[in-house]
Amino acid sequence: MSIQFKTIKDLSTMLKNKDISNKELVQDTYSLIKSNVHLNAFVTLNEEMSLKKAEELDKNKFSGNLAGIPIAQKDLFCTKDLRTTCGSKMLSNFIPPYSATVIENLENAGCISIGKTNMDEFAMGSSNETSFYGNVANPWGSNLVPGGSSGGSAAAVAAGIVSAATGTDTGGSIRQPASLCGITGLKPTYGRISRWGMIAFASSLDQAGPMARTAEDCAIMLNEMCSHDLKDTTSLDEEIPDFTSDLSTSIKGLKIGIVKEFDLSMLDNSVAQVFEESKKHYESLGAEFVEISLPNISLSVPTYYVVAPAECSSNLSRFDGVKFGKRCENPQNLEDLYIRTRSEGFGDEVKRRILIGSYVLSAGFYDAYYKKAQQVRRLIKNDFDNAFKKVDTIMTPTTRGAAFSSGSKGDDPIQMYLEDLFTIPANLAGLPALSIPNGMVDGKPIGLQLIGNFLQESKLLQIAHNFQISTDWHLKTPSEDIN
Amino acid sequence: MDKKTVTTIAYLSRLAIDPKNEDKITKDLENIIKFVDQLDSVDTYGINVLTNPLEKTAKTRDDKVTAKNRKDTFLERAPESNEDYFLVPRVVE
Repeated sequence: MSIQFKTIKDLSTMLKNKDISNKELVQDTYSLIKSNVHLNAFVTLNEEMSLKKAEELDKNKFSGNLAGIPIAQKDLFCTKDLRTTCGSKMLSNFIPPYSATVIENLENAGCISIGKTNMDEFAMGSSNETSFYGNVANPWGSNLVPGGSSGGSAAAVAAGIVSAATGTDTGGSIRQPASLCGITGLKPTYGRISRWGMIAFASSLDQAGPMARTAEDCAIMLNEMCSHDLKDTTSLDEEIPDFTSDLSTSIKGLKIGIVKEFDLSMLDNSVAQVFEESKKHYESLGAEFVEISLPNISLSVPTYYVVAPAECSSNLSRFDGVKFGKRCENPQNLEDLYIRTRSEGFGDEVKRRILIGSYVLSAGFYDAYYKKAQQVRRLIKNDFDNAFKKVDTIMTPTTRGAAFSSGSKGDDPIQMYLEDLFTIPANLAGLPALSIPNGMVDGKPIGLQLIGNFLQESKLLQIAHNFQISTDWHLKTPSEDIN
Repeated sequence: MDKKTVTTIAYLSRLAIDPKNEDKITKDLENIIKFVDQLDSVDTYGINVLTNPLEKTAKTRDDKVTAKNRKDTFLERAPESNEDYFLVPRVVE
């Protein structure tokens, strides 16, 4: 029985029924990785350790909720003794001495970390075209981008290689690739999942989350990923519910907000049409639509492109060629070591963001840019606080369109930045948000975004699950539609 | 944004700009700064900054040793080290 396109739930049942052994599951997963090598979804494989762990699981029964499930880990999470590059030349030789809390949590639940997935360098990008390890192809078309930055994770799930993967989301890096690859991805509330061992990009925005075929699998993953972690001072000390328990509860009477300021006529006709059809479907499930206003929402992207580069320039100052990672050859003096190491180790997009960050934080500009952006960030959050007095969730398209061709955004960075128009606001406000497949445009999948109030992941997953048990967009697979 | 400003912020960032790309980088940064200048249109008088969505003070924990000394583990990952220190080119002649 093929393991391709199976969910976590399917694979757990197959393992329990002994339709497949743990070792066979891992071997079959590597066969799929190798037959999909053209996707370039993985930077580093963990084959020897994975087979060893699977053999142990075959010998000694283990009851963890992810026992034996192969999971692809974004190459931004530190994995003990397994190379972690963050998509950068800077870390091409970095073997972490410890694992991220998320990785430990998932492995303690029995998962097998099958390999590290390709990504935009230091998570800066929306198309997976900035990785030092090459572009990732979208399984729905080899010339299409998978989105980014968690593009390798999205491609691995969309191609049916793994049932689930980890991602991180600073401005849409889970939801946008989920949309372009036709899978489900959740960015939890800021602080829900520990950031310990995640290589930092913008610390007040970064959040890890699950990427899978279904909302149900995202809930299963989230159950294991969350924990209160003393090693991360922003880790929330809140009750962690069983995210699977309310999935099937009816959404009758649910109030869904539609953002007045998002003019959907600016989208392709077919994208707007898909969105309208999803509204009708939710109406048929008993939901009610309410127009809401987020007056400052149009300022989200400019706010983000001050806050994120500022935090990035500070966070990435640690890559100096002294303690770990790459160092330039034959440095003449300490300054030469810093400058050449960083100039050779970082790619163009990372350098661009560091430069913007240094500019907006520099003397004379701090108030005009950084302080101003943080004030506007407060206004955007206040808008959401007001909106959630009236509605249970806010619904938008995840992206402006379906997957685009590699290289098609030209070399104007702002065009790429606008890719995250719909996803950035949730990061600025720290709110949970997910993307589910809700239609096809020209044979390519597209996603629907649901934004929830603080700590309302269970509600979001319930709304998404109700959609998925009554539609089949999440069941579409690339092979079926392309061939 | 001009070339002189770009040179200054590149130095602050300890990055070297390839002279071949200098014009392109200057133009890109100028466009990005123009784009974020939209924020000027908002009246933010009296609005408190939002630095972190949780708005909670960083939690502290008891000052107890929780990890073993792993000096060797960390030093062996450095590009250059001796048994006690990370090594860099001589700073004081």
